[in-house]
Amino acid sequence: MTKSVDVRGLPCPQPVIKARKAMGESDVVIVIVDNDVSQKNVTRMAEKSGASVESEARADGIYLRITQEPGPTSDASAESKDDASGVPRVLVVPGELMGRGEHDELGHILVRGFFHTLGEVEPLPQTIIFFNSGVKLVVEGSPLIEDLQALTQEGVQILACGTCLDYYDLMDDIVVGTISNMYTIAETMLSAGRLIYL
Amino acid sequence: MTDEGYVVVLVRSTNHALRAEKVLENVRIDCKLIPVPRQLSSDCGVCLRVRRADREVVREALEEAGVEVRRICGV
Repeated sequence: MTKSVDVRGLPCPQPVIKARKAMGESDVVIVIVDNDVSQKNVTRMAEKSGASVESEARADGIYLRITQEPGPTSDASAESKDDASGVPRVLVVPGELMGRGEHDELGHILVRGFFHTLGEVEPLPQTIIFFNSGVKLVVEGSPLIEDLQALTQEGVQILACGTCLDYYDLMDDIVVGTISNMYTIAETMLSAGRLIYL
Repeated sequence: MTDEGYVVVLVRSTNHALRAEKVLENVRIDCKLIPVPRQLSSDCGVCLRVRRADREVVREALEEAGVEVRRICGV
């Protein structure tokens, strides 16, 4: 049985959510996307859950053919970034420190420790959003780069607020994640199954 | 024992860990301030992860700077 889902025009993370839902219903899924970011995100999610993906660019969109080997483990890793109801966990980082106190130094230690530990614990968030001074953590010179890059390799999506990067004049210095806008940020936060503030 | 991988340097306190980090940065030894791995301690502390090959240099540099090293452990 082949199932087809058309996610053209849908904002992130809807394409990934819809593709994953379809994968739960059929071993072969065709996902039609209309942009590179959706293609990458859907492909990454599918490959991470053990499926193979073939893409074909057509005039009306990019057709991704996802083939899953039927098996008990195929869904396990894809599900691990969602809560029980199948909607994604989203981590929000509104500042460059973790918590507040008299000394910024401690907040720095904590934020570095947190992201180092994130690579070693379960469950991972599907998306991490950095905004306000939090964007300083995804640019050149941030002590978090190595950890954040490892998280993206695990399939975690990293979004950085474009307005904020621009405000701090850091637009050209981003080294991990994707520059994002308030539409995507708001939609990602509102469609999160669980929203975690750092 | 090979020189590959990392070891963690446990020190007396968070402030010692911060001092140790500065000492190592000054002598250009790669290090990373990380939470103490769960298998080593249940304390909510931080420690320094350094390359195993740098182990002895680190020990000397820290002792010279007056940072009290509690333990250096493999991870």
